[in-house]
Amino acid sequence: MAITLGRYLVALDGSALPSRELIGGKAWSVARMLSLGLPVPPAVVITTDACRVYLDTGCVPDTLAVEIDSAIAWLEQATTRQFGGAQPLLVSVRSGAAVSMPGMMDTVLNLGINDVTEAALAAEANNPAFACDTHRRFLELYASIVLKATLVDTSNAEPTAMRAEIAAQGAAVPVEPRAQLLAAVNAVFDSWNSRRARRYRQHHGIADSLGTAVTVQAMVFGNLDALSGTGVLFSRNPLTGERAPYGEYLHRAQGEDVVSGKFTPEPLSVLAASAPAIHSQLLAAAATLEQENADVQDIEFTVQHGALYLLQTRAAKRAPQAAVRFAVDMVEEGRIDTNTALSRVQAEQIRTLLKPRLAAGATDGATVLAQGEPACQGVGSGVVVNDSDSAEQRAAAGEAVVLARATTSPEDVHGMIAAHAVITEQGGATSHAAVVSRALGVPCIVGCGAGTLAALAGARVTVDANSGHIYAGLLAVVTPDELDDPGLAKLTSWAVAASPITVVRDNDPAAAAAFDLGEVEGGEDPARLPALLIGKTCVRGGAIESDAGVAAALVAGVTTIVARHPLPVLLAAIHGQFGR
Amino acid sequence: MNEQTHLSLHGLAVKNHATAHAVAALLGLDAVIVAEHLTAAVQSGRCVEMGDRYLLTPAGRMIVEANYSRYFASARADQSFNAAHGRFEIINDELKQLITDWQTIKVGGTPLANDHSDGAYDEKIVARLARLHDKTLPILAAFAIVLPRFAHYMTKLQAALTRVEDGESAWLSEVAIASYHSVWFELHEDLLRVLGRTRTQ
Repeated sequence: MAITLGRYLVALDGSALPSRELIGGKAWSVARMLSLGLPVPPAVVITTDACRVYLDTGCVPDTLAVEIDSAIAWLEQATTRQFGGAQPLLVSVRSGAAVSMPGMMDTVLNLGINDVTEAALAAEANNPAFACDTHRRFLELYASIVLKATLVDTSNAEPTAMRAEIAAQGAAVPVEPRAQLLAAVNAVFDSWNSRRARRYRQHHGIADSLGTAVTVQAMVFGNLDALSGTGVLFSRNPLTGERAPYGEYLHRAQGEDVVSGKFTPEPLSVLAASAPAIHSQLLAAAATLEQENADVQDIEFTVQHGALYLLQTRAAKRAPQAAVRFAVDMVEEGRIDTNTALSRVQAEQIRTLLKPRLAAGATDGATVLAQGEPACQGVGSGVVVNDSDSAEQRAAAGEAVVLARATTSPEDVHGMIAAHAVITEQGGATSHAAVVSRALGVPCIVGCGAGTLAALAGARVTVDANSGHIYAGLLAVVTPDELDDPGLAKLTSWAVAASPITVVRDNDPAAAAAFDLGEVEGGEDPARLPALLIGKTCVRGGAIESDAGVAAALVAGVTTIVARHPLPVLLAAIHGQFGR
Repeated sequence: MNEQTHLSLHGLAVKNHATAHAVAALLGLDAVIVAEHLTAAVQSGRCVEMGDRYLLTPAGRMIVEANYSRYFASARADQSFNAAHGRFEIINDELKQLITDWQTIKVGGTPLANDHSDGAYDEKIVARLARLHDKTLPILAAFAIVLPRFAHYMTKLQAALTRVEDGESAWLSEVAIASYHSVWFELHEDLLRVLGRTRTQ
């Protein structure tokens, strides 16, 4: 397996795949990419065996420091750089158990930098600002992750001053790269026993003796020079599901710059134009990884001085629309079977797709009364009411209301629950109104501007929280049907075949005989369904269409559920039967 | 209006449309005593009873607010209480961002509703919440030195966090239960009223 550098150390070279238990999930993923012949920065792994010794004895194994030296030598050879030397090798240090677990140490980047290597890096890249920034980023992460020290604003701090500020809080950041590395390894092992990690293992029945590995990987720099950059590539479009690569690239930048949102990345076509060879190498790698994993991939990559490196790949997160298209397309391409396709689409995603939306052309000629930032998507219409108490009273009397407030506070929650939509004048995507409306699933637009909404009281409006527009009048709204959409219809046919129960539409003759939970006390509360469903075989209404409701129906022996939209219910039943 | 009645009506102003039991739970008081104060306030036209819930009248709301400077004078004058409030507002922004990250997930740079199918993403947020909680406790302790009832929020936040950490993720941001978010926003509203500040968003 790979290259064994000692009792506790493995170098990853793609020659064979060590076990997940030994090297942890993250290193296993790196090893797998290497075995596929893909370019990955060289990495070594301190195995979980070393962690177990640490857990048993409180000390790392005697030979570990010597083994780490030989691992560094291996990395130096593979990168033709030197740890602490003239062409400095910097490394990342990350934890990694066989199963991913919260509470473990976060990744420390740029380890190996100090005043000497910063100067060497500055000379090599002919860019002192980059070298200083790298030093700063290291100190910040090392301080917070390894030493648990807090630094005030570090954006322009001098490394020397930062080191002093950290030392004043207790332990100092070691100057020697080797000492930095050994301390970071100990910190990873310690994090195995953090409160959160222990609690998580206890709750999920994971053995405390499993231990974590430590991956030490050569850093590559997307901000090294003009031939460098960093980006993210999806093997297919994660928003629309379109069968075309989708990505972002940031020239002369590091991965965290893309994540931070401080910089605006460019579309991948920019990379295609400036470095066509790298672009096509990247697309080929994406195709390989998608083929191997039989799922759409989200790949982080860096280009360093004209060479491509893949940093991480994982199954892509996807919008509801994309989830459906990926699943259907990949079955048609013969890459997955229909059960796998069904397992990749959540009932909630289908519910989102089937929510009412504005009819085509409904907004033609409509007056926009106000606009703001969409906080919770959806469409709602009704009469505008300015205070929560009247909103609740008028809604209780059967009126559809839209709650308009300058801001919302806890005392508005009952009005928000009663409203078909919520609109506010002040606040952004994290405001109270935004947070509560998302928790409630009520369409919401925030930040329409001071004084824009008060005058709307009494008006009938339509709130399109997909676009952020508030229109005059009650516009035409349609509820999509899963049988009108070819992808959803196909999923439905597979789901019918795989479902443990029968789901019929509400216009089916069988629906008449159904026991209606909507008409019994407590039928809206999933927690009360087990009692209410005793002896029932055909059910509709109340909480029956929720995931919890379907799960309760399965346990109670219900054989038929009546629903306006069968697909979400079918998916909830299929996923529920495997205890997902 | 005496201090006890004022406190009960203040609790009702924070919760609105609430049962005596819910107001008592917010304030950490005995429900029977709070019910007595609220019933008396109904008699005097300061609130109305709808089913088992109470609602302040416009006059009742004015009287509660007019008496804040009198009954919360010690907190308003206390430097350490005000300094703790400054720290709380910073953490409040972090909490709102955390809840937003819990509810929405970025896909290719676009925020979408989090369907909670990515356990690792959710777990990271729970870990963040635990760290934020650790930073919040000393701030609440500082409030509690001046207003001991604020210690009650510690217990409630801790209870919500424990449930979230044990996998009952509804206790992070669900509205109808004493989730971390529900308790936090009542705490924030309580605090703003105690100090006579206005919410900016």
